[in-house]
Amino acid sequence: MSKETIKKESTQYETFTQEEYMIMKDDLLRPMRKIRLGGKIWIAFLVLVCCAGVYAYYIQETKSKYVTVSLRDITFWGVYISNFVFFVALSLVGVLMSAVLKLTNFEWYRPLSRIAEIIAVAAIMLAGVSIVAAMGRPDRLHYLIIHGRIQSPIVWDIIVIMTYLATSLVLLYIPLIPSLSTCKNHLTNLPKWQLKMYKFLSFGWEGTTEQWKILKRTVKVLTVLVIPLGISIHTVTAWLFATTLRAEWDSANLGAYFVSGAFLLGVSAMILAVYTFRRAYHLEKYLTEMHFDKLGKVLVLMALIYGYFNINEFLVPAYKMSGLVSDKLKNLFNGEEAMFFWSVLLFGIILPAILPLFKQMRKPLPLTLLSLGVFIAGWFKRYLIVIPGQADPYLPIQNVPESWKHYSPSMVEWTIVAASFAAMMLIVTLFSKYFPIISVWEVAEGRLEGKEEIINYK
Amino acid sequence: MKKNIYFIAILVTLLVQMTSTFAQDKVAKLSFKFEKVDTNNVCNVSATSDGLPVKGVNINLFVKRMLSDLEIASVATEENGIASFVFPKDIPSIDGNLSLIARITDDDNYKNTEVTGDVNWGTLVVSDNCNVNERAISAARDKAPIYLIATSIFIISIVWGTLLWAVLQVFKIKRVRNSAR
Repeated sequence: MSKETIKKESTQYETFTQEEYMIMKDDLLRPMRKIRLGGKIWIAFLVLVCCAGVYAYYIQETKSKYVTVSLRDITFWGVYISNFVFFVALSLVGVLMSAVLKLTNFEWYRPLSRIAEIIAVAAIMLAGVSIVAAMGRPDRLHYLIIHGRIQSPIVWDIIVIMTYLATSLVLLYIPLIPSLSTCKNHLTNLPKWQLKMYKFLSFGWEGTTEQWKILKRTVKVLTVLVIPLGISIHTVTAWLFATTLRAEWDSANLGAYFVSGAFLLGVSAMILAVYTFRRAYHLEKYLTEMHFDKLGKVLVLMALIYGYFNINEFLVPAYKMSGLVSDKLKNLFNGEEAMFFWSVLLFGIILPAILPLFKQMRKPLPLTLLSLGVFIAGWFKRYLIVIPGQADPYLPIQNVPESWKHYSPSMVEWTIVAASFAAMMLIVTLFSKYFPIISVWEVAEGRLEGKEEIINYK
Repeated sequence: MKKNIYFIAILVTLLVQMTSTFAQDKVAKLSFKFEKVDTNNVCNVSATSDGLPVKGVNINLFVKRMLSDLEIASVATEENGIASFVFPKDIPSIDGNLSLIARITDDDNYKNTEVTGDVNWGTLVVSDNCNVNERAISAARDKAPIYLIATSIFIISIVWGTLLWAVLQVFKIKRVRNSAR
């Protein structure tokens, strides 16, 4: 950050007053006061899609899976697993948009951190749900703990997912404590149960100097912890593939390839979420055009990094064209899947690496549309990593029906995937209705640098 | 006259069609004969039909394995209806016995058929199980390498220990409030 920018921003903090803080508190708590009709319809729609997913899962588990899903001996990991990889990738948004920016003193992270953390929590929960949906015998889930071998990457994945979920929850909750106290003191016209919940969860927060000291120290330690954890979770997910006997996944690049892709996906998800909350809750004063400008620049950086790992992932095998992968690569480059493959690269890497270089493309609407493309391409990118890679097993399976050699998800599978997205959005939406989606104290603190007199945010 | 030519042509076509359709109706009977020639193990598969040797039919020889059948060779029967296979000496077996399968598949004249037989030509797989109790990545749950168990416990303890410490800090926040009063 240049000296001029620091001076400009510090001048801005000094203009912040107690009155302005009160206005800001009102603005940021407004979405929680009442759920409007539009919000109710949106929640009802999400609940409906979730119910459809539950029903589809009931059909899947009660009827034969041979009938309800398209998974067979050759393609044994289908759309559920690509969805799992997508959600794990999405969960890294908390690492990048909250932890990394916080530790590197980028002040503009402040209004974004809680949005990033709730997306991370919701995504990692739904990643777990996707795994259970993919299991042939979900009733044996606990066998992983009873009979699991520490040598197995699947056990590593379970451990790291549980740890990351716990850390994300704690990291979401602890910075929320002062906000809960603010809600309890400020939103007195809410239902009694809600106020009781705030009181219970705020753990006697009074904003004393000692309490602030404990809170900030704990948040800092957790923020440092969550970075290696986030990288581990997606690296281990990559190892699930890299350690499975399929030629296409035999790559030492896979961990870094997955993590860099996750960061790109995280930025796109963040842009979509920021745009949606900004419009839906009228938070233009807090989620400003400056945020889109910065996020646009991060998008370019992440797209370039991900592009680099993609070149590594495809160029070297394509140069050698070894017998095991040549058919698959030709199929992707100019065969049956070429349109699909190049569209994913275009919308998922090339456009986000180029277009936000132009200032006009870093405005809210164009950047959001671009991010929507990256987000959708991100999902299909995981589909392309998981599914075509299984078509050629090392051990040839003889005399199988033709239908086993090709995989296309069934309606049951699509419904469950759609429901997982609805569930994720439902968690984020409900959270924003019951808790401040922008951390009041973190934003205030950013503007209060050097203003010791307003230390107790009530 | 033209009419007759058409009639004959249709008749000939029908006859050809019938001949080719029912050609595969012939059934060949296969049987094994195992012998030792010099140092080689030779597997003779004899093909007969109505008691007569079947000549020039391709016979495929397989060994039954766990996942699928391993093809040894494909040999055509000679004048005497016998296809001879020099059997490889390096096919592994737990007890020395191998299950062989001889097949006629997709022949123009004969139906698909097969015969199975057991022979004691397998190479014994001898294992002294000396490495069964070794700790290894590929071993069972209770034989995981010590370094892996130690590293896992170390990392898990640090991370979960920090999480536990963070949760305790939340209670400390409450305690600090109470002590301030």
